[in-house]
Amino acid sequence: MSAHNRGTDLDLSWISKIQVNHPAVLRRAEQIQARRTVKKEWQAAWLLKAVTFIDLTTLSGDDTSSNIQRLCYKAKYPIREDLLKALNMHDKGITTAAVCVYPARVCDAVRALKAAGCNIPVASVATGFPAGQTHLKTRLEEIRLAVEDGATEIDVVINRSLVLTGQWEGSDFIKTSTGKETVNATFPVAIVMLRAIRDFFWKTGNKIGFKPAGGIRSAKDSLAWLSLVKEELGDEWLKPELFRIGASTLLSDIERQIYHHVTGRYAAYHDLPMS
Amino acid sequence: MRTGVIGLILPPTFSFLEMMWRICPALAMGCTVVALVPPTSPTPLLLAQLAGELGSFPGILNVISGPASLGPILASQPAIQKVAFCGALEEGRVLRRSLAGKCVELGLALGMESLLLLTDTADVDSAVEGVVDAAWSDRGPGGLRLLIQESVWDEFMRRLQERMGRLRSGQGLDGAVDMGTRGAAACDLAQRFVHEAQSQGAQVFQAGDVPPKSPFYPPTLVSNLPPASPCAQAEVPWPVVVASPFRTAKEALAVANGTPRGGSASVWSERLGQALELGYGLQMGTVWINAHNLRDPSVPTGGCKESGCSWHGGPDGLYEYLRPSRTPIQVSCLSKNMNYDTFGLAVPSTLPAGPEIGPSPAPPYGLFVGGRFQAPGARSSRPIQDSSGNLHGYVAEGGAKDIRGAVEAAHQAAPGWAGQSPGARAGLLWALAAALERRKSTLASRLERQGVELKAAEAEVELSARRLRAWGARAQAQGHTLQVSGLRGPVLRLREPLGVLAVVCPDEWPLLAFVSLLAPALACGNTVVMVPSAACPLLALEVCQDMATLFPAGLANVVTGDRDHLTRCLALHQDVQALWYFGSAQ
Repeated sequence: MSAHNRGTDLDLSWISKIQVNHPAVLRRAEQIQARRTVKKEWQAAWLLKAVTFIDLTTLSGDDTSSNIQRLCYKAKYPIREDLLKALNMHDKGITTAAVCVYPARVCDAVRALKAAGCNIPVASVATGFPAGQTHLKTRLEEIRLAVEDGATEIDVVINRSLVLTGQWEGSDFIKTSTGKETVNATFPVAIVMLRAIRDFFWKTGNKIGFKPAGGIRSAKDSLAWLSLVKEELGDEWLKPELFRIGASTLLSDIERQIYHHVTGRYAAYHDLPMS
Repeated sequence: MRTGVIGLILPPTFSFLEMMWRICPALAMGCTVVALVPPTSPTPLLLAQLAGELGSFPGILNVISGPASLGPILASQPAIQKVAFCGALEEGRVLRRSLAGKCVELGLALGMESLLLLTDTADVDSAVEGVVDAAWSDRGPGGLRLLIQESVWDEFMRRLQERMGRLRSGQGLDGAVDMGTRGAAACDLAQRFVHEAQSQGAQVFQAGDVPPKSPFYPPTLVSNLPPASPCAQAEVPWPVVVASPFRTAKEALAVANGTPRGGSASVWSERLGQALELGYGLQMGTVWINAHNLRDPSVPTGGCKESGCSWHGGPDGLYEYLRPSRTPIQVSCLSKNMNYDTFGLAVPSTLPAGPEIGPSPAPPYGLFVGGRFQAPGARSSRPIQDSSGNLHGYVAEGGAKDIRGAVEAAHQAAPGWAGQSPGARAGLLWALAAALERRKSTLASRLERQGVELKAAEAEVELSARRLRAWGARAQAQGHTLQVSGLRGPVLRLREPLGVLAVVCPDEWPLLAFVSLLAPALACGNTVVMVPSAACPLLALEVCQDMATLFPAGLANVVTGDRDHLTRCLALHQDVQALWYFGSAQ
């Protein structure tokens, strides 16, 4: 993360003046997906850039140190070495942006990354993920423990009851959802969020980051996300400090696309290393 | 019943989709089409080739690729029954003039500018996307005028300029490019407009990633253009957008309606009531709310005022290519010695009727203007003779000034009348019918003096009353319709009254014709200025006596006098919305 959000005084009038034209936003979402397509070597370049935004995530009940280790290794070497060599990108240090795990597994993640010789940040979900309906005291304690174990980023689940009653908090990054809901990151929602980020930047000068998470599985989708951020916010936001994609299977799809670009053939599942 | 052979004339910057919008309904209704397209694009020729390969009907679609000057020649071919013209105003005018008198229908769709009205309760970001879509993509047909509420002016400008910076122009169909080019001519037109605007003190902002070579013109935003400058009156070319502020909704409507163009517009506001109010108030053919340029083949689009009077899409579009069966074959009435400048200019002076024999007739009737009888400006009258050559009465000699007064009175009454419910309008027409019946004996005796038999005279009066009642009933039936289409949102088709209608009645059937022409105009919410039958206007004036008591002032105005002169005055008056003429070939 670059600079922290210095914050401003809460001005509720900013919120009450917001108007959203829903059909127009839906139209814009369709347009982004349909019109902005990237092909050939530019597509490969965009896909590699997309890889550098991924928060490689594993949030399942049966996480243990072995699959965390595998994940961390994949985070350090997201694309197979020979493919990167073919694209002449093997020495650019392409890794994912971060590794995202449950608080109890932060220790394992830190250890695995150190063993691999990698300084990617470890992000931890905290504060009663995914529902957030736990006491404030335990939530704060979770954050403290995760940070002690070595996590440098925390995905905080906000207290939705406060939101629904109009009591707001501030943050450095906004995320579309936990990724565990029925509807997660959709383009119309993202458009509204990105416009809000832009508004906030114009009003206060603070740059807030954006992270869509949940439901981003195909490489084509990830390209659409990148072009959306580029169109609405500009190239400044296309940096890991301000943009992350929370995903797990996305990386394998990207890798397969790059394999296809390099060799001209579609890979089978067993051709590429597991994450 | 279908119309026959349609000639289609398209402008140099038409799009393929627009062409299809015109050809498909014509073909669907059973007409055959001859299209004149500019020589720059081969796609219509390919289409015609495909149509030709359809086998059994080789001639249904024909395409001629040629310069615009062929347009009037195509239009004057004898076999063409209707010409659909789409393009610039001047050419439309020329075409209209050249087709006058021939029995060829003309459908005009002129001008390609549209309007975007942004209020302070709108989602500004989405409106910016709307502007981009309307003005700087390949979907929008022409330039755009923006009316922005002052309180959101700065915010909107900032967002729009930032968005313009991310537009890309270039060749190619790939998704990386937002807009292409419309040719060197369009580029020059835009260039000239921008230079003129700058010289008149406007601020010009251009941005976007555009190749510097000639046919590509960057997206341009013009602001601070003084409203009285000639640029502000001219049509905005593509890809220029002219923005001006407004303070209140009322001012917005005044500015928006204050141009002679009436094509299409969009209103952006998240408050339903305000959006609908502005939508109703705009005098445009098509109004979109919170969106721009939404098109669907089942929704009719067209224009008002100078933007033409033809409709495309939907059932109205299909009616364009049909005419009612049992229409008599129209004979071309082309006058060889038609001189527009001298027609109807001088009023032939009328000699006094000679020594008056018999009882002195009633004092001369005045003009019925503004709800009462007034003396004419020229202060002279003309005698009316009955069938045996005796003097029947005197009526006023109306002139240009009287026409002007009548039209003004009609305009004053128009908003009130249009706002009346259909039931109220029906009520008034029925009251007039009842009044006519009460006057039956007087009217019948007048008709008798004109040489009509008593029985026929009474029948005429009865028929007039019956027609008034019939139109009164129909007034209730017209209305607005709600249509469901493929677009996300409802489509409301409003049938609005035109405004002021001028009617010049034929000589025959002095009472019946007068009433039959008066009733439909009033039933639909218009106000009228009528020139009654020249041979016997007295019957119309009798009806006026009833109208004086029943109708609101200015609703129906009657001006008597020399028919040619009055027709000329009405035709040249630019604030009369329509003119019905029954008279001589000239």
